[in-house]
Amino acid sequence: MSSMVACSHEESRRLLPWLANGRLNAAERTRVELHVRACPECAREVDMQRRLCDALTEPERVTYAPGPSFRKLMQRIDAAPAPRPAALPLPAARAARLRAAWRPPGLAWAASFVLLSLAGLLAATAYRWSQPLYVTHTEAPVAAPGVLHVAFERSLAVGDVEQLLLSAGARIVEGPDRSGVFGVAPVADGTAPADADARLRLIAARLRAEREVRWVEPLPDRQRSEGASDPLPRRP
Amino acid sequence: MAMAHGDMADGATHSGGSAARELELIERVAQRDRRAFEELYNLYHRRLARFLTRLTRRYELAEEIINDTFWVVWRSAGDFRGDSQPSTWILGIAYRKARNAFRSAARSRARQNLEPPSFPLTSEEPAKETELRDWLSHALGELPVEQRLAVELCYELGHSCEEIATIMGCPVNTVKTRLFHARAKLQKLLPELAGRPADARRKGTQERGS
Repeated sequence: MSSMVACSHEESRRLLPWLANGRLNAAERTRVELHVRACPECAREVDMQRRLCDALTEPERVTYAPGPSFRKLMQRIDAAPAPRPAALPLPAARAARLRAAWRPPGLAWAASFVLLSLAGLLAATAYRWSQPLYVTHTEAPVAAPGVLHVAFERSLAVGDVEQLLLSAGARIVEGPDRSGVFGVAPVADGTAPADADARLRLIAARLRAEREVRWVEPLPDRQRSEGASDPLPRRP
Repeated sequence: MAMAHGDMADGATHSGGSAARELELIERVAQRDRRAFEELYNLYHRRLARFLTRLTRRYELAEEIINDTFWVVWRSAGDFRGDSQPSTWILGIAYRKARNAFRSAARSRARQNLEPPSFPLTSEEPAKETELRDWLSHALGELPVEQRLAVELCYELGHSCEEIATIMGCPVNTVKTRLFHARAKLQKLLPELAGRPADARRKGTQERGS
């Protein structure tokens, strides 16, 4: 005990309330008491604080009856809905949380519906954007058997087209469509269907040989199988 | 230097036995034991009623705060894990309820454009007939609410600095500072506390009034 050092004046002044109410721990109390013995100001201060304790703890003149207050409180408790259980076992608590997650109330349902609608709309738009906006003639169904689709250079005059087709033994039977594609067929001369096919291949070969013809399709069946490596005879 | 405040045992948590008993009561309250709840209520009602009536000056309001406090105790006894003393836990709830009640009363006064209630500390009041406790009660009314509560918790209920910090939810240095300022103000308002005669008190109140 003798090795204890008195606390400073400032520290003492801050700890005096608990010296007065007896709630300092043993070490603090010894240090503060050492200072108080040597400091008249702190000694007066601790006397003042003891009077304060005495005044505030002196027996009450009023007697408080807790009974009526407690009955009021119990009425309030009985009227209120039961509080939640103090502690659920862990699995039960987890299951309750899961159930709660699957039961979104009111606004949460509405928000879920809006989100799902938006997701559907987004998916439909994404699918539409992934589709090509053009149509290929190679994949288009052939309008009629025995018809070649031909695209001429756009600068070619009508008379030149006419001349070119006459020299190839063909005539226009369709078009032109929006892409400038014509449907051409052999000039009718009463040949049998097998020969008609051969004529179609001949016309295709003639037309492909012309610089003013950009492309011809479809190829006659035999040529299509023979020239599979170059099915679309385009000119440079 | 041992302190002898006879009534202190009633207020504070000095007895390990009483703390253990209160802990047991709280555990039973968590199981919805009404007898245990009533016993706990009765244990605290007197000290809280005295403490809160002095603060609020209205027993009805003090009773309301007590019942709000024990409403929370009833509903959350199962959450009390014994990390602090039972009295610190219960007084912490009471402190928050009292502080809210004070703030609510202050807002209500502001809405009605009323002055805060004043308590006469004039020289006309006959000093001989008014006991120190009554003067003290009035003087406490002059303190900011946080200082007033710190004074009550320390000098009336006998809590340690750490317990008051837990109850008020603030650092221990804040508690020390609040009490330091409160004491300085009380000494000005109540010269008797500093060992001066009642005449000096009257003089002090006259100065305050001027």
